[in-house]
This record gives sequence, C-alpha cells and structure tokens, in this order.
Amino acid sequence: MKIKTYLSQQEEALPREFIEKVKHIVGEENVSQRECDLISYSLDYWLYGVFLSQYGDLPSLPCAVISPSNGEEIQGILRCANEYKVHITPFGGGSGVLGGAIPTGGSAILNLQGMNRFIFLDEVSLVAGFEAGIIGANLERELNHRGYSLRNIPQSLHCSTLGGWISTRAAGQFSTKYGKIEDMVLGMEVVLPDGSLLDIKPVPRRSVGPSLKDLFLGGEGTLGIVTKAVVSVHPLPKGTAKQSFVFRSVEVALDVVREILRGDARPAVVRIFDESESERYFKEIGNRVTVIFVSEGDPDFVALESSVIRRIAEENGGEPKGEDPVDIWLEKRFDIGLGPVVMQQGAVVDTIEVVSLFKDAANLYEDMIASMNAVKGAVMISGHFSHFYPEGACLYMTFAGFPKDPLRYYQDTWSAAMQATLRNNGSISHHHGIGHWRKQFMQQELGASGVELLQRIKSALDKNGILNRGKLVEDER
Amino acid sequence: MKDKKELAQITNCAMCANMCKYSCPTYLATGNETITPQKIARLILYEEKALIEDEQGFFDVMFQSAMCGACKVHCVYDNYDLRKFIHRGRSKAFKEGMLPDETRKRVEAFTRYGNPHGERQLLQKGTGDLGYFVSCSAYNDQQMLKAMDRIISVSKEQVQEFGGADICCAAPLYYAGDIEGFKKAARKMKEEIEKRKLRKVIADCPTCLKMMTEMYREVGIDLGVEFVHTSEFLNALLEEGKIKVRGRNATATFHDPCILANDMGITAAPREVLGVLGFEIREPVYSGADTHCCGGLPGARIGDCKLADKVSSMRINELRETAADVYVSACPTCKSILSDVDMKDITELVSEQIVNEQS
Repeated sequence: MKIKTYLSQQEEALPREFIEKVKHIVGEENVSQRECDLISYSLDYWLYGVFLSQYGDLPSLPCAVISPSNGEEIQGILRCANEYKVHITPFGGGSGVLGGAIPTGGSAILNLQGMNRFIFLDEVSLVAGFEAGIIGANLERELNHRGYSLRNIPQSLHCSTLGGWISTRAAGQFSTKYGKIEDMVLGMEVVLPDGSLLDIKPVPRRSVGPSLKDLFLGGEGTLGIVTKAVVSVHPLPKGTAKQSFVFRSVEVALDVVREILRGDARPAVVRIFDESESERYFKEIGNRVTVIFVSEGDPDFVALESSVIRRIAEENGGEPKGEDPVDIWLEKRFDIGLGPVVMQQGAVVDTIEVVSLFKDAANLYEDMIASMNAVKGAVMISGHFSHFYPEGACLYMTFAGFPKDPLRYYQDTWSAAMQATLRNNGSISHHHGIGHWRKQFMQQELGASGVELLQRIKSALDKNGILNRGKLVEDER
Repeated sequence: MKDKKELAQITNCAMCANMCKYSCPTYLATGNETITPQKIARLILYEEKALIEDEQGFFDVMFQSAMCGACKVHCVYDNYDLRKFIHRGRSKAFKEGMLPDETRKRVEAFTRYGNPHGERQLLQKGTGDLGYFVSCSAYNDQQMLKAMDRIISVSKEQVQEFGGADICCAAPLYYAGDIEGFKKAARKMKEEIEKRKLRKVIADCPTCLKMMTEMYREVGIDLGVEFVHTSEFLNALLEEGKIKVRGRNATATFHDPCILANDMGITAAPREVLGVLGFEIREPVYSGADTHCCGGLPGARIGDCKLADKVSSMRINELRETAADVYVSACPTCKSILSDVDMKDITELVSEQIVNEQS
C-alpha cells in the first residue's frame, strides 16, 4: 500500500479461519479488507494525526473492518478474537481527540456505528434507551421530537456517539446544570472481552458493591464494548435566560462563579473566556475577560436564578453585556472550520482540557499560559473555563504554532501543559480521555500503584489483551 | 487537481471533524464510516495524490453517495459542495468503463432510447407558453398524470404538456459521470423547449428541476425559461383561487424530496398546499432541511442497489413512525420508491379534493 504509517510497522496477518468465522457471524458484506475501508478507519480526530493525514501519512491501518449489528454478534466476534488472538479496536464516531480509536499495531476495527437505534422513552421515569452507536445529534433529534433532551451537548455533538461519550466520560456545554455523561447513564449493556454479556439495569442509585458501570465509564474500549445504554432525560426547557458580564481578570471571574455556585444556583452554561478568546469570539467586547451564563428550565426558577447571578456578578464589579455575547457563542459553538484551514498552512493546533479545585484554578491558568507560550514555535495560546462544580472547574486550552519541527512542538506543548497541571494539583483530563497520546502522562497522574491497578483490572477482564491495545495505560505484556 | 482553491477545499473537508455525518442518509442506514462525507473527501484527496491502489474500490465509494446534498446543507464551509468532487470521481469511472452494473445499464438504455426506461411514446398536448414537463418517473405513473390533467383542466390554465419518447433531463447520464452525453442531452432539451416556444416550465420531479437549471448551466447551457416545481404551481393556483378544494379531516406526513429541500430550498409550498387541503401535518423526526433521501431508483444516484435499498428501508421506517392517515411527497421517484407506505404525490391529493370542476 502507498499510504505511509507511523505508529505501526506492518499489518498483522489475520488468520483466515478468523475471517471466515467472523463473516459467518456478521455476514460477508460486513467484513472488509478493502483499501478504502482500511484508510477510513485508520484515524479518529486526534489532531496531530489529522495534521499529518493531509500529506497521506496515517498512524496505522487496520487489518480488517468488522461491522456488527447487535450485541450478540459482538459476543461471537470477541470469542473468535480470543480464540485466534486477534486484537480488536472499537470504533464509535471516530471523534475522539486523543487517538483512542487508532488501530495501533494493525488491529481489526470493530465498527459500532451500525448500532444506532433509538429504543425507548419512558416519560414517567424520565429515561430513554439507545444503541451505543447513535450519533449525539441523532439521539437529540429523537428526544427533541418527543419533547425531551439528554442535555449532553458537546462540541462534537454531530459526530460523536453515545458509546464514545460513555467510554471517555464525556462532557457537554450544559454540564454545570446537568453533569457529565457519567451522571446521566443509569444502565448499560456491555459485552466483556471474553464475549460474555453484562447487563447493568437502569436505576437511579444502588448499593450492591462497587459500581460496575464505572469500569466502562472511561474504559475507552479496553475493558468491554458498550452496546446499549439507558440515560436520564429532561423535558425541553420552557424558559431560558442569557446573561454576560465583563470582569477585570480571570481570577475575579472564577471567584464570581464560585460564589454563584455556592449560592446553589446551577446555570446550565457557564463559560469564562480569557482576554484572547474574548477577542476572538466577541469583537465588540475585545480583549477583556468575558463570562456568559445560560439558565434554563421552569421560567420561575430561571428568573430567580438569573437574578442571583446578576446580583453576585454586579457586586463583584461585573459589567453587564446583555444577551448578544451568549447568542454569538451559541451560533459559533460548533464551528471548527478554521482548524483545517490553518493546518493546511502548516500550523499545529490542538486543545487540552484539565480540571482542578477552585483554590488552584487561577494559578493553573497562569501557569498553563506561561508554560505553553514558552515552547518554541508557539503563536497562539488561549483558554476558557467551562464545566463548573461547587468545588472547581475544567480549564480548556487551545494552542497553535508554526514550528519547524511539528512533532517536537506538539510534544513539548503537551508536556508543558501536563506538567503545569500536575504542579497545580490538577488532573490531566476532564473529559477528552487518555487514548493513545495522553497515556504517556498516566504514571504521573495515577502513580505507579494506580497504573498497576488499572493494568491488573485489564488483565483480569481481558486475559488475552485483545481489546484496544495500546490505549489508556501501557500494556505491560 | 490544478485549481489550488479546489485542492484547499477538498483538503479542508478531508481534515474536518465530519460534523455533517449525522445528516448523511447512506451513513445512517449503514453505519459505514467510509461513506461519510469527510472520509469520501479523504479518499478523493488521496486519489488525487495517487495514493490509492484499489481504483475499483475507490470508484465504488464514489457511487455510494446519495448525492442528496445533506452534507452541503450542514457544512461549516461556505460555497462548498462535496458532490462536485464525487461527480468528478464518477466521471473518471465512466471514462475508464468502471461503472456499477445498474448504472451502466441505465446509461446503455439512455444511449439507445434517449431515456433510462426504454421505448416510449411522445407526450404532447395542450397549447400556450406555460409548459408542463412530464418526468420519466411521472410518465410511468398514470394516476399522477391524470391528476395533473384534471387540475390543469379545472384551473383553465393554458398548459402545453410534453415528455416521453426521448425527451429526458439526462440525470442518469449526469449521475453516471457521462459529461459529454449530458451536454448533448441538455442541448436537445434546449431545442425541445425552444420549438415549443415556452416561457415557463412546470417540473414535477425535483431532480429534473435541478438538472435543467443548475447542472445545465454548469455545462454551459441555459434553457432561457423560468422553472417552477409542481408544489409551487399548485400552491399558486390555490392562493389565486384558480382552483378550490374541499377540506379534509385527516393527518398527513409529507416526505420532503431531498433535492427539493436541500437544493431548491422548497419546503413551505407543499405544506401550505396540505394545509389548504385540511390536513394536520405530522412531521417525521427528519423533515424539511433535515430530510432523508428515499434511496432513489436502482443504479441512479446511488449506484449500489443494496445500499439504495437500505436507505429506502430506513426512510420508510422513519415515515411509518408518524402513523399518519396519508403519506405524501412531491416527487414521482420518491412516490415510487416509498410505495410501502402507500405514498401519494401531492398532485393526486389536490386532484381528489378539487370542488369547482367544470361540468
């Protein structure tokens, strides 16, 4: 093949018996080794990989693409994979930004996107069931049509799947009110690496030992394949209020949001944009720290919450800027068209999301900006805080550079950001996950015993190490 | 790709996050990543860079697009349409004689008969400078033709009806990538319209409408007449009081033909007509600018017949969920493909409910 790969040396030879058996399970048309399919499933949305893909360089080509249509077929496929020691990489929407779906080592892709159906809506209990391969926007469409919403609205809504959200502990832009996906999933069906089926029933809470579903929330396809999930839903909000304020610094803005949350207000959207991001988004405000709020729900609650937000913001020197900045953000929030344009010009770009307690948040931001700017080749570093909790918040950095050595710049910027996070007591990921690229920092995040514990869990569940090799933590075998 | 702007466009698409994929009917019907817009763009880029070895595989992907325009509607880039690049891939397949079987058969039939269906009689009746072009799908649909005749008669509009024989918009050639054949057919259509001295033409098929306007102009041929889709024509007749209808107490689901909604932007007119007819409209989950393609005729826009069947099945299920009394569309091809839900054309509903018929 003329395509150059840089993460795996050569494709694995796939046992013919494995292929035949899998074809028998899923049907011949659902197993492909055609070149176009191998190219298409070689990379997710890991941005350094995307940068290289424009030149025809891909990280790793799979040896086959297998597309099951239900959990039973996945059970059969995984049993075969164990029998023939074939490595399997699950592929959801392919929107992950850390390379979690890259078929490292030329493994076989398990394409889950054919399992994309809406299953049921229980309007009494406010829960809905879906197959895990459904794209977020399609999930929302099904719910919205019936008057409901999950309210997990990530920037990747239109290209990421429910299963992908579960596997990376994803977060949406409305998370301050509704939580992350781990707060929304009540039950799930999982095919374990040995092909057995685990059905975790949907109930609000339980006390039956450690939470099994938490093995798969953030499991990144290394511990099992999520095939279905039951999630909590909300009636579409009847009232919405939009507000924005300008503050003199990121630190002051953080204090204001902390006070608002301490007062038990739970706006759905809270975002603190630093000077650089404000200038990019809000031309009329320019180079000043801007905070936007969206409150939603019953109109009476919305009115009350809005007044609490306004009072605390103004008491702390917040300058009201009305609804316009919120509307501008709402309109632009899914538009990521600029990335490919600048990548074509040679720019290396990416985003990094981390999380810390409030006591460390301002220092973390300052340190991240300074550390990432110090990397040779850096052109633009900016940040915003989003996804707030009473205890702390997620810091989301965006960087771009025009380096002579793209890989060196990419690696150095990531290292600078991760070290700044760890220095300031933060966690290295809030919702993008670990995948291929960030696993190099897992020892520092979890410590040796933490990593070993994850590896032992992996070994116990996946004796032959067939599932998503090379992701989350280094495979010691 | 000699044009640097075009190279930049397809590279943008190939590196985009694929945020239009949720709207793509072929993807949704199969879950196949390879036929999502971004991956198609990557394959086109790599074919341009001579990195693709399996040429047949590449051409097969080009013929797996529904060419419905959903990705264009949901694209983050302005003035970009992936279909232009897919069409070039198809043209290359045509030149190299590597068309899918059903597509090749349609081209062969067109070459022999001047239309994709075979030998046909010429349809020619009425007079005046307002034309009604009977599409190939409508030619085979007597109910629809009778309905249109009745409406024209009651409205007392002077309409010159024409079609059949070898009068065809040549969409089968366009979608097969036969550019020269398409140009030749476009020139013939220009002659047909000029010899009838038409000022304005009613088209019942959205694809014909697209071909005879946008695509003809792309190959340098302007028919020099105004076009109107049947649903707009009917809506105008009702608004102007040229026909009157009795109301009906029933529910209806309107299937937006993909080209009508995505390329022509016509979604309101058919709903307004249904409103006047008294229907309570039950929208499916995907409607209006978010509609899904019906799958189309075998070998037509989608060259892979099995894939076309999957797209059709998906759309039928989406429509059935509304449990409406009546299912209606504004495209004779959609009507034919979606017959499992007893689909009607909007022309038929208007005809059924006309009350001011002349004795």
